[in-house]
Amino acid sequence: MAAKGFSYHRPTSLGEALALLADLGPGAVPVAGATDVWVNLRAGKLAPEALVSLRNVPELSGLRKTEHGLALGACVTHAEVEDDPWVAEHFPALHQACSGVGSRQVRNVATVGGNLCNAAPSADSAVGLLLYDAECRIETGIGHRDVPLTEFFAGPNRTVLGPGEVLAEIRLPLPAGRTFAGYRKITRRKAVELPMIGIGARVTLGADGRVAEARIALGVAGPTPLRVRKAEDRLEGELLTREAVAEAAEIAAQQAKVRDSWRGEAWYRREMIRVWIPRILDEAVLSRKG
Amino acid sequence: MERITIRFKVNGEDATVAVEPHWNLLRVLREELELTGAKEGCGAGECGACTVLVNGRAVNACLYPAVEADGAEVTTVEGLAGPGGELHPIQRAFVEKGAVQCGFCTPGMVLSAKALLDRMPLPSEEEIRTALAGNLCRCTGYAQIIEAVQAAAEELSR
Repeated sequence: MAAKGFSYHRPTSLGEALALLADLGPGAVPVAGATDVWVNLRAGKLAPEALVSLRNVPELSGLRKTEHGLALGACVTHAEVEDDPWVAEHFPALHQACSGVGSRQVRNVATVGGNLCNAAPSADSAVGLLLYDAECRIETGIGHRDVPLTEFFAGPNRTVLGPGEVLAEIRLPLPAGRTFAGYRKITRRKAVELPMIGIGARVTLGADGRVAEARIALGVAGPTPLRVRKAEDRLEGELLTREAVAEAAEIAAQQAKVRDSWRGEAWYRREMIRVWIPRILDEAVLSRKG
Repeated sequence: MERITIRFKVNGEDATVAVEPHWNLLRVLREELELTGAKEGCGAGECGACTVLVNGRAVNACLYPAVEADGAEVTTVEGLAGPGGELHPIQRAFVEKGAVQCGFCTPGMVLSAKALLDRMPLPSEEEIRTALAGNLCRCTGYAQIIEAVQAAAEELSR
């Protein structure tokens, strides 16, 4: 059982949710799938005065696909992403990242927006989204603002969301050109596990066959999920050769602020970055040829 | 804290329960409705012993706020057998393949399997393992459980 003493609110529109959060003040915690919040309540790490459930707010649900890209309602679950063949085809790294979170039971309720707002350095979906230049639509109660995901995280378990603000939607443009991408989480067991290191890579080729856009993103390699710009710079404008990819992977491994922890040691995390960035891109190229 | 009245369907029957905000669905099922098939193991969404179906999807009832069951259709292991008590094909396959030992994980395993077969009638072994990865078993060793789900899939698809 969770800690007692809070009230539970189930708004059915975004306006109602924002008004409730404003009325209830800083003691109110927004909650979506509750898979993290409920565990923290039980452990006594969270003692809110009120929970404001966002799971019945229609404006926060649904995957919207357009010719320009994808808009994910913040309360889209990991399983909705996992089960969507269009997302698997056009945003494979995001699909892989969401499909590997927790168990099916967790993915059925845990939301992508919740994963971002929880802001764990290990957040799988965040690494997938960083690869695709995701932008966050934040509803403030008096309007909205758009924040690139690279600027959404403020530190471990902290975001730029102010009191009463709600992450409403995550938008991803479709990469313009032939694209190869993937995400790999390195774990000690095969499932229901946080990554020891989360590794994502994307390259999009220009008409000249050179790398027009490169994205390298990592989880558990710093205080927040992050992009490694120096590694990306090594690839952009270049031909996609094994040498260039190996050098970019080496740069990413060197730049990663990995640590020793009970889940894994720093040297091993670094080594996995070095090994898996080339493998991710190899696998992506091979699967596109199939 | 004031109780909230929720109305939902459990195994096809209407249920109305006044719940406290901090209750989880598992407590409502076990303590209020006396459906004790779903078990509490870890209480933190790791072991899957409390797995039930909410609107056809497998969830951990220990992490599911009871209030959120309002308006939902919930299926527990008690809802699988036929009217005469005959076992569901998945349950029968578990018995026939020796997939039950102490039985603590079984209701959750069976419901995860049902959610899988409802959306994917003939899954590969890999897909079965992925779907059951959130259900821990400490005695049978999983091989018989996978075999039981394969056998049930074949029977249900016949």
